[in-house]
Amino acid sequence: MTATLDYSGYKFKGYDELCLRAGTGHQQTILFIPPLFDEMNRMRRMIVDVMRLLDKGGVGSILPDLPGTNESIFPQEGANLTIWKEALLSCSLTDKRYVASFRGGCLLDNFADESCNQIVEKWRFAPAKGSSLLRTMMRTRIASDKEAGVVTNMTNLSAEAERGNVNLAGNAIGSAMFAELKTAIPAQSTNIRTVQLANNSQAADAKLPGSALWLRAEPDDDTILSAAIADDILAWVAV
Amino acid sequence: MAEYLNLTPEAAVRAVIQDILGLGADQVSGFTAETELFGALPELDSMAVAGLLTELEDRLDIMIEDEEIDGELFETFGNLVAFAEMKVAA
Repeated sequence: MTATLDYSGYKFKGYDELCLRAGTGHQQTILFIPPLFDEMNRMRRMIVDVMRLLDKGGVGSILPDLPGTNESIFPQEGANLTIWKEALLSCSLTDKRYVASFRGGCLLDNFADESCNQIVEKWRFAPAKGSSLLRTMMRTRIASDKEAGVVTNMTNLSAEAERGNVNLAGNAIGSAMFAELKTAIPAQSTNIRTVQLANNSQAADAKLPGSALWLRAEPDDDTILSAAIADDILAWVAV
Repeated sequence: MAEYLNLTPEAAVRAVIQDILGLGADQVSGFTAETELFGALPELDSMAVAGLLTELEDRLDIMIEDEEIDGELFETFGNLVAFAEMKVAA
């Protein structure tokens, strides 16, 4: 795949945040909201492949860094879901008409619902609940503590998070982030298209072939999945 | 919304293991109750197990508590399937 990618950026609370762009000359630009925490690393390659395929199909896309993630130097422990939504709102590089989000990114795709009158069309891939992301991170922390001979459990970690920052699977999670993740679910709305993997029994508007890259030990691509996603998104924006 | 297909606990465990290991469906279809997991499959480390448990919770609509998890659970494919079946039936 040879389509061109380039970088742009946006300002947020005094920090310069990076955006990856593909197909800048096209009429439509889709805002991509990445998966959260290390799921982002495991799926970024696949998502960038989707962006290249969309460019070939005549649709532009933009993938912003959320403050405190990827290249961002925003303090990670200061990030939370509310701040990420504010950041997406201030990323003015798209008209925000079409938003495609992946996994935990779906918790943020209602960022423009209250603050502007535009209809945001939402496309969601395997939406994740905040509590699920939190449980996986807590389990990872419990497992690494156990290997170090320390006994921790989810109740202790929740109590620790109420008092201050807690390190979960290499992420500095502030109290606000922890509290938000505990209850966050993808927001309900009428204009949503939800897709799931074919081997998942949860309800969806479409089932796509491919594998759950967020479960892998290492980042990987999945050309079957990226092609299926690109086709589905192209059909979605063409309607 | 598309049709709601209820996967059996065994099918869900198989699908999640397949995704974690990045294997083809044909490879995982050869897993039997005796197939060894933790310790036998290098990709299935403690970090992967964390993701596996949450994914099973989501796919089977169950909750798995800290104290229900022990080393035996991940010894074999059969143990994990039996645990998932027990949680779904509870």
